Amino acid sequence: MAQNVSYLGMIPLLPLIGAALVGILHLVTCKRKRLPDRLYAVLACTAPVLTFVLAVKVFLDLNGLPADARALTHEVFTWFEVGEMRISMGFLADPLSSLMLLFVTFTGSLIHIYSIGYMAGDESFAKFFAYLNLFLGSMLILVLGNGPVVMFVGWEGVGLCSYLLISYYSEDRSNVLAGNKAFIVNRIGDFGFVLGMAFLFWAIGGSGFDYISLKTNAHLLTPATVALVCLLLFVGATGKSAQIPLYVWLPDAMAGPTPVSALIHAATMVTAGVYMVARFSFLYVQVPTVGLVVAWTGILTALVSAIYGMFQDDIKKVLAYSTVSQLGYMFAGVGLAAYSAGIFHVFTHAFFKALLFLGAGSVIYALHHEQNIWKMGGLKTKLPLTYKTMLIGSLALAGCPPFSGFFSKDEILYSALASGHTGIWLVGVLVAGMTAYYTFRMIFVVFHGSPRDAHAYEHAHEPPAVMTVPLVILAIGALFAGFLNLPALFGGSQQVTHWLAPSLAEHPHEASHSTEIIAIAASVAAFAIGIFIAYRKFGKGAEAPVYSGFSSFAYHTFRINELYDVLFVRPYKAIGSAIGNFIDAHVTDAPVQLIVWFYRQFGSTFKLLQVGYVRVYAIYMIIGLSVMSYLLTQSFK
Amino acid sequence: MLSQWLFYAFATIAVFSALGLILSRHPMNGAMWFVITLVSLAGLYSLLSASLLFALQLIVYAGAIMSLILFIIMFLNIQPADIPDEKGRWAYLLGGCLAVVPIGLLLLKIVKTLPEGEIDIVGNGFGNVKSVGLVLFRDWLLPFEIVSILLLVALVGAVVLAGKKEMNQ
Amino acid sequence: MIHDYLSLSIVLFCLGILGVISRRNVFTVFMSVELMLNAANLAFIALARLHENMDGHVLALLVMAVAAAEAALALAVVILLHKHTGKVDTNVFSLLKG
Repeated sequence: MAQNVSYLGMIPLLPLIGAALVGILHLVTCKRKRLPDRLYAVLACTAPVLTFVLAVKVFLDLNGLPADARALTHEVFTWFEVGEMRISMGFLADPLSSLMLLFVTFTGSLIHIYSIGYMAGDESFAKFFAYLNLFLGSMLILVLGNGPVVMFVGWEGVGLCSYLLISYYSEDRSNVLAGNKAFIVNRIGDFGFVLGMAFLFWAIGGSGFDYISLKTNAHLLTPATVALVCLLLFVGATGKSAQIPLYVWLPDAMAGPTPVSALIHAATMVTAGVYMVARFSFLYVQVPTVGLVVAWTGILTALVSAIYGMFQDDIKKVLAYSTVSQLGYMFAGVGLAAYSAGIFHVFTHAFFKALLFLGAGSVIYALHHEQNIWKMGGLKTKLPLTYKTMLIGSLALAGCPPFSGFFSKDEILYSALASGHTGIWLVGVLVAGMTAYYTFRMIFVVFHGSPRDAHAYEHAHEPPAVMTVPLVILAIGALFAGFLNLPALFGGSQQVTHWLAPSLAEHPHEASHSTEIIAIAASVAAFAIGIFIAYRKFGKGAEAPVYSGFSSFAYHTFRINELYDVLFVRPYKAIGSAIGNFIDAHVTDAPVQLIVWFYRQFGSTFKLLQVGYVRVYAIYMIIGLSVMSYLLTQSFK
Repeated sequence: MLSQWLFYAFATIAVFSALGLILSRHPMNGAMWFVITLVSLAGLYSLLSASLLFALQLIVYAGAIMSLILFIIMFLNIQPADIPDEKGRWAYLLGGCLAVVPIGLLLLKIVKTLPEGEIDIVGNGFGNVKSVGLVLFRDWLLPFEIVSILLLVALVGAVVLAGKKEMNQ
Repeated sequence: MIHDYLSLSIVLFCLGILGVISRRNVFTVFMSVELMLNAANLAFIALARLHENMDGHVLALLVMAVAAAEAALALAVVILLHKHTGKVDTNVFSLLKG
């Protein structure tokens, strides 16, 4: 039974209040005397820190409950009630959402503090923090929602904030276009999500449309309905979490400020899709075929974006494609019903990816907003702290034991091998190698060798403490988070998996120890080979390469954006202009114009009677009189 | 008997001269025909024992009004070129007959509902000046006064309308 | 017998209407209107005789007064019309043409 508490509603509410407060203060004072940035910084950062405290409280409270009754609920108010549908704005804290809550609030708070330094001196400092708080509030609604509808509210909220923050530097039109692209592509995914929700409701929504009720009624669904719902929900996930075919917005989203990329497009928003699949594990576990579709989509996305990452010049784009690739891993995990492995990778990825993005932000800040890696070089002497933390993050990303990324990635690959999907496992191992290659290509080019742009190198210096302390904290997380889910082979007890077990419908794979050892050996070998090739090519300082042939094709991301433009955007625009110019003007307007024409004709006909000769008007009178007398004569009889 | 023959005579003359009025081209001819109509109507009034009105019809209508009209017709010196060339008047007349017939039929029908009555010449002062005056100045005093104002208005109006140019010069 | 007088009145009235609607000459139109008024007078007097009442005579008298006033003003307008256009055609002014 779920315990009812009353502080759950405060967790999303605090950042929303913060956003409103900062926003109103900014709107009221931005044309007059500007308030000091420090005030906004304090106002904006209190909410995330408070939510982190509350998240810890939630975790401790849940820990105090027995394992099979670990759920805290809070129904704030009934949102709407129509017919047999009753949706309330309610929150549910169970092991899965408490884990998500912990790392979302933790990384959120750290990135808020980091942004104080990164966005210092910016014109719309307050606006940034208002949007960032709004984002945090929406993400918390998403994570804590007690049903698909409340989750969707948060889903849309984070999409909105993503758009607002990507197009934050709105003077440059390309940033605004990137924001539009993110929002529109997300919307396409959301259409699938809504359809999935609708089908789910139509099937079993009558007796309660929240997770707990759905879980108890899940056995009433026909396999076809379950498959359809799961596929449609996954379409939503491809949009939000940037999988094939809707990943095209994430690299463009790097147009936003770097803290935004760190928070939204690495640690939190993009993992919402994985969270959603894990939430609906009680549905996905019924249809392994759909799970296989999810897994293959994920691993293929991982492969394709790893190829893109190997050829990018912009430091943020490398990390963006890396994010897409790692998300592919997570989907491979949850697709193969290894839900806790996927969620654990979400957890560790939040730490090291946020760390890498913040470190990249540090580099960009030091070099005065230079983002091309071929203009950097030899920065390890100038930015030692950034270098060390980024090295830790890269080792975690590349899957070097004993960093966190190794354990989480290995969990997923082991599940693939243990459940007999060797194809997925092989592609995963290949991608692990490629990950190591492109990550260390970036590290070697940016930090090793000699500087390629002497002027920028001269003025580079370590950023202030408000930016470096979060880096250190995240580095600690990236180092040690892996030990939370140590498998039995290494003497651990898989605490995270056991913690998450009540929330997920998972059946643990049991395979022989030898499979585990093969998986681990393959992962380590891939990592070693990748880093070795990167060292050979870039370790001693390399020049900017000229891309041709396949590498040029990969540099331009297989021209997928151009393909979408030709296949979808242009026909859609053509249809739009055809409708606008032809159908709107002639077809939909036709009844109106017909009426107008009719009135005109009517009018012109009657105009003929207005001859202007008074005698003719007298004739009209006499005609009327005679008709009237004729009628009267009839009635007289 | 005699009154009957007189009635038919006067009626025929009246109808034919009315026809002459509406069919004649030059307004002068029409005016002449109209005078004959008015005189025959006066005769009909006398057959109905309306002695005062018989006199007034001849004095006012056939005398004053018609002479005014004739005077204006002659004053304007209408040349044959000024008279409108009414080519379509027969068509209009035919159409007009068609339009007018229902009106007339209705009116005739209404009239038929009235009771029949003797209309011999009445004596004892019916229709003479004294009886008309008594009724006029007792029961119809207000309309009488208003009509006199109307005549004043007509007088002023006629002066204003027809004398405009001279007053401006 | 009264019916004959009233029928005559109706015939004259209809002839008057015919004159108004079919002629364009101003004077003819005007005199047709006077014809209609006279037909009405005849009807008044016939009915006064029927009811042996003086009211019809008085009314006919008042109608005559009105006809005189109207004649004066209408002819003044005809003079103005002739001054402006030199014609006595009712079709000259068609400013109300729609």
